[in-house]
Amino acid sequence: MLCTVSFPANWINASRFEAALRDSCGPHNNNTTEVVFAFPVGCKIMVDGAIRLLSLANQLAYTTRRVRLNFEEGESGTMGYLNRMGFFDHLSTDVEVLPSRPFYSGARLHRGGNSMLVEIARINKDERDEELPTRLSDAIAYACSSRLDVEELKGATWTIFAELIDNIFSHSATQLDGYAALQVYSGGNRLSVAVSDSGLGIMQTLRPSLRTEFPKLAQLSDTDLLVEVFRQGLSRHGADRGCGLKGCAAKAIKFDASLDVRLPNQRVWLKPARGAYEPNRAYCYEGLPLLWGTHIAFAFALGA
Amino acid sequence: MNPMNEVTTRVLPLISYMDRPEGWGRSQGREVYQRLLGFVEDHAGTVVFRVSMKDVKRVDISFASETIIELARRFRRTKGFCLVDLTDPDMIENIDAAGEKKEQPMLVWQGKNATLIGLQPSEGTREAFQFAMSRPQTRAAEFAAQRNLSIANASMKFKQLWEQGFLLRRESAADTGGVEFVYCPVG
Repeated sequence: MLCTVSFPANWINASRFEAALRDSCGPHNNNTTEVVFAFPVGCKIMVDGAIRLLSLANQLAYTTRRVRLNFEEGESGTMGYLNRMGFFDHLSTDVEVLPSRPFYSGARLHRGGNSMLVEIARINKDERDEELPTRLSDAIAYACSSRLDVEELKGATWTIFAELIDNIFSHSATQLDGYAALQVYSGGNRLSVAVSDSGLGIMQTLRPSLRTEFPKLAQLSDTDLLVEVFRQGLSRHGADRGCGLKGCAAKAIKFDASLDVRLPNQRVWLKPARGAYEPNRAYCYEGLPLLWGTHIAFAFALGA
Repeated sequence: MNPMNEVTTRVLPLISYMDRPEGWGRSQGREVYQRLLGFVEDHAGTVVFRVSMKDVKRVDISFASETIIELARRFRRTKGFCLVDLTDPDMIENIDAAGEKKEQPMLVWQGKNATLIGLQPSEGTREAFQFAMSRPQTRAAEFAAQRNLSIANASMKFKQLWEQGFLLRRESAADTGGVEFVYCPVG
């Protein structure tokens, strides 16, 4: 059965990506054998949506489904933009691209040369790139070099990348690659930082340990538990672990960043309030179409 | 004379045990930890290790947790670990978060001044800690006399601070002929 995911002729961030996915019949559904992602003229995909799309397309190809990305506008539209991010460098070669795969990698050609900075990097457990957090945070500092708080921003994003990437090494248990991405836009006043993996979701690794490690939290809903992961720092390995995600949140909150976490069937979007992420400021979506893994995105509204 | 009698203090340059100036992630941290442990075991007579952060550019929370903080926690009560050559607010914040999670206090020394990061003393022991930090060595009786407390009460506070890793202690002959403990800051 064919499943079509149709994107609108608009900017596609993580929220619009999810909306399009919800309107489809579910690419990971058992009876889906073929998936088409349709990008009309005027559709522009942002990096937080792009790495979820990349993870999903690779997951579907890995499960032997026929996958096609159909770019109506060709390389002059969002396809060219995705190319500049390095999207096609990481897309499974089993995925078909219409009208055709870009002939050259825009990311390799443009790297470091454009002011609207965007980049996707691969995270592979077997080829650990020790320089990756530094390279990504250096890129942010370069793009935001006119900001007075650039050093603080660089330090915060380095820690966020380091902790989230290490989390993938420690927890995700998958053969599929993960991705880290960044995008600086609106003249350096907006920043999107995202990390995705296609392994087990946080809940799948944390839930089984709750009864022994954190019995008081075992009754919480997934949403409330997820908020606590970022507020208290929880880990299946016990009370003295789990400081990484909590630390990431603390760094992001200093810049008033919102946090978007997508799990296999849920999504939580957290807006900071009074210097913290709180359950009553969480927007929750349950019963979403399956997307393997954990996908975390911070959106920094840096202001002038 | 050194307040801890035979206590020796040694500088442990963290950068010498790292593969690069940026330390991140638990697995990298665990590798570095083993090297640090080797250094500590090779210097069995050293009681205080001043971990120098010179030339270390960054450490994330997981790396700090698996290295400096884990080492301090492992040797709590017998050896002390503190930080020197550290001013970067981001690194201080990350080590602080790691210490807080593992309930391990850590002093950051800048000249003769120390800032406490990680675990903070409880309300009941805070004053005793500050008292001990203001002097090279402290006996519970001295604190008891100044604050008009019983010696037993003061002793309990210092014992707790020692057990939690806030202070070091050694045995000393008391004027009365018995044994009493002398407490001193980690540094």
